[in-house]
Order: sequence, then C-alpha cells, then structure tokens
Amino acid sequence: MNGFLEYVPGTSLMHRLNPIVKLLGAIVFAVACFFSSNLVFLACMLVLALAMAASCGMMKPTIGLMKAVFAFSLLLAIIQILFTPSGDALVVLPWGYIGTGSLIAALTTVVRLEAAAIPLFLTFYVTKVSDMTNAAVKVLHVPYKYAFTFSLTVHFIPVFLNDMKGIMESQTARGVEFDQVGIIKKIGLIMPLCVPLLVSSVRKTNSAAIAAEVRGFNLRTRASGFKQYPFAAFDVVALLAVVALLVVAIIL
Amino acid sequence: MTIEFRDVHASYNADIPILKGVSFTVEDGEFVAFVGTNGAGKSTTMRLVNGLLKPESGEVLVDGVPTTQLKTSELARRVGFLFQNPDNQICCNTVREELLFSFRALGALDAEAERRVDEIIAEFAFNPDDDPFLLNRGTRQLLALASTIVVAPPVIVLDEPTTGLDFRECVKVMDIIRHLHENGTTVIMVCHDMEVVADFAERVIVMSDGCVVDQGPTFEVLRNRHTLKAANLVPPQIVDISLGLNMMRPDLEGTLVATANTLNEMELAIATAVGKPEAASSVPTYAPTAPGAEDALVEGGAR
Repeated sequence: MNGFLEYVPGTSLMHRLNPIVKLLGAIVFAVACFFSSNLVFLACMLVLALAMAASCGMMKPTIGLMKAVFAFSLLLAIIQILFTPSGDALVVLPWGYIGTGSLIAALTTVVRLEAAAIPLFLTFYVTKVSDMTNAAVKVLHVPYKYAFTFSLTVHFIPVFLNDMKGIMESQTARGVEFDQVGIIKKIGLIMPLCVPLLVSSVRKTNSAAIAAEVRGFNLRTRASGFKQYPFAAFDVVALLAVVALLVVAIIL
Repeated sequence: MTIEFRDVHASYNADIPILKGVSFTVEDGEFVAFVGTNGAGKSTTMRLVNGLLKPESGEVLVDGVPTTQLKTSELARRVGFLFQNPDNQICCNTVREELLFSFRALGALDAEAERRVDEIIAEFAFNPDDDPFLLNRGTRQLLALASTIVVAPPVIVLDEPTTGLDFRECVKVMDIIRHLHENGTTVIMVCHDMEVVADFAERVIVMSDGCVVDQGPTFEVLRNRHTLKAANLVPPQIVDISLGLNMMRPDLEGTLVATANTLNEMELAIATAVGKPEAASSVPTYAPTAPGAEDALVEGGAR
C-alpha cells in the first residue's frame, strides 16, 4: 500500500472521474455535511462515503483515516457533552448537566466529521496530484504557480512523514525512548526533532524550487499542458448528485 | 561482544518478506562488511542488530541476549549506529550540544561525559560552537560518526558510511573506523564501494534477495566470481585483474597474485608479475599505509 495521501493506481469509477469533479464533489460533499444537523442524513452521508471508498478499493486507508478523525472528533464530542447541556438531564454536573441532546449533538459531530473527511482524503488516493494541478489550471483557470504550490504541498506530506520516521529512528538508535514514556514526555522528546525536520524541509523545498526554475517553471502557461480534461456524462451526473445532496442538506 | 543471527525472517509488510532465513555470527572485535545490491536486505539486517526492527521469526542475539528482550536504550549502549544520512541524526544547535546529546539520550550526562566530549572535539578538530546544520556534507557525516562513537559502544554498525563523501573525507572517516577497530570495537559495515570493503573488512557477507549467499575472509569472497555474479556484484578492479592474470599465466599459480590478502600485496604482486614492480608505489588506495597513499593525501590536502 502507498503512503499517506499518495495516489493508488486503479480503474474504478472514482479513478476515472474528471479530477475537477472529484475535487469539487468532495468539497460540496463536505459542505453538505456541515449544512445539516440531521443525524440520519449524516449517517447516510457516512455510509455513502464508505461505499465510495469500497468502490475504489480504498477501505484500508479509509479505516486508518477514520481512526485518526475519530480521535480528534472524540475530543470535540467530550467537550460538547460536558459543556452544552440540552435535552432531558441524564447526569447532573456542578456546572450544568449531561442531557440526551448533548449526547446526540456529540454523536452528530463525530458522524459529521467522519463523513466530511472521507471524500476529501479519497480524492488524493484516486487522483494523481499532477492531474489535479493540470486540470485546475486548464479547466478552472487557476494560475499555474498556485496550483503547483498546492500540488507540491500535497506531494511533500508523505515525504516529510518519511523524514520524520527516519529522524525518530536515528534518535531511537541513540537511545531516545519514544515508545517507553507517557504522551507529555513523548511530545517533549519529539519537539527538538522538529529542528532537523525543518532544516531538511527547507533544503528540499529549496532544491525543488531550483529544479522547477531550471526546467522553465516561469515559462509555463495554461496552454503548456498537452493533456485535456473533458467532462464525460458520468462526470456531470456525479456533480449533479453531490449538488442534490447539498440541496437536501440545506432543506433538512 | 558477539552478534548472532539465527534463521531470521523479517519484513516491514507481512506480504513482502525482506529477510528469508538469515544466519551468521559476528565475533567480538571483527570488522565485517555486508555487500549486495539495493534491496538485498543489508540495511534491514542492520536495523535488526540495534533493535529498530524485531524479527518475525528466528533470533537476533546481542552478546547472547535476544534483541526482543532488550529496550532500545539498552541496545543503544551496546550497539552504535551510523545512518547513511547524517541529517536525520543531527538535532542540536552546536557541535558540542550534539555530542552531549548522545549521553543525554542514554541518561548518562555527567562530568565524565563532558570530558569525553572535549576529547572527541579535539580528536576530530571540531569547533564546538559551530552550527552542525551549516557544516559541509563530509563534516556532518564526521559529526554523526563522532556522536555515535563518543559513548564508546562495543559494537558499531555503519550503514554506507562513505556515501556522498569525496576521497579525502572518505579516507578520514574510514581511518577513524579503522582506529576504532584496532582498539577492539566490533565493526559491522554496509558498503557498496568494493574498494573500501577490500581495503578495510576482515570478513565479507554477501546478501542477495534477503538471503546470505556467501561469507568468508574478504579476498576469498571477492575472488569468488561465481557468487559475486549471482549477487550482481563486481569485485574491485584490482581483484579482477589478478584473477584474469592468474587465468592467463599458469606460472603465477600459488604466487601472491592468486593468494594476496590485502590490496597492497595484490598491487605489488600484479606489478611484479608484469615486470613493473615500481608501478605499485604509484597506486593510491584508501589505506593511509598503502604505497602512494601519503602522496595522494598530501596532494588532496587531507594531511
């Protein structure tokens, strides 16, 4: 399996969609999740997002993503449970109470974040970053330097993750016990390692900029790309479907 | 301190086995080089030695103790590890802090550690206040080596220590490693440069496709064309010449051309065999004691 946010080749419908449709579709899908607070609707959106992941064979990275999003959303959910009392009181607290409404709101937050995150992340697994950049330049008329900056940022995420892994291994080999201490101490141990990561990031970014420059980066225009990104019938259908979901979310 | 691998299987992903039943022993005080193509499993083997990776099956024993029973910090005291990329290792703002960090990581920062750091700074001729990130590639590699050996581990593992270094820097790094070995440190080195291997290693282990395909005294292994070819390796040119000469000249059978165990001996034997013994002195090798090496080093500014 490829690294985090790295393209995985495939021939599924999701892979074949126009990159712009995938990107816009994922954004509209996420917006729809935030427009509605209807738990049933959000649960349906989550199921739909999982179905999309399954259709392109990306269940394994999706489950990994869900775990990470769950950890973050759980924190929000706990805050919501403790500090936004609503509905019938279940547990009385010195500053308020935990009610049925608090629990439903917390559950809604978790489901919403999970549902909104999956298509956004899925887009990167089923689209080459270069296609996303070129299509943004060709179709959306985004200036190439901004599109390139975006693609480079995405490209560097797995690179930096790998670098961090290498740095942590080097320090582990020197005796730093990342796996033996508590979370606070662990953060304390990791913080100094941001220095080599920062240095290597700056060096890599500088090299990438010079390499782009010598390859005529500034000469590139919208017409430079030979690849076309035409919209097929199923692209239009897919885009209409997510717009319909947004309308439903607004109505609900 | 002995390192022993017993039928070790290891992988990063259960679907793709990297090591497929590796067994070997590195005795106390030996200098062993691992050679093989990229993807042969050399670096994975090194990661098993210091516990960064645990075996799926089989055993890796460091001084008789399985690595699975030792904490990483305990292993770090026994096995020093020099990575290919010094930038992953360097994390402090000055050379002195970087060297002290090695002791801090092991929880052994005391007056003795400070004294040892001063000693190493003098030995390597570092400026203690230099910013490590602003040093050149060769000096950063030397600093990474210094911060590995400053805590005096009995075993040192070197993962391609000469990658990206010029001849002068390479000589300096290898000279320090030779000195460590002469003082009793067990050295395990992964290296693609067969000249360096021929010049420094006492024993060579050849790896291919996750298995050990040959092991033995350096020149015995380097003369084995069949095994090296199977592992997609090429012996140092001088070994190739001696093998060719030996095939063409049956009268050289049993002479130093066929039996030499050091590059210096081999150079002299070949030069003598072709009637030009004086030519040997002009061939520099990595070893500072080799004929011609002093001149080359002076010319290169290393001495």
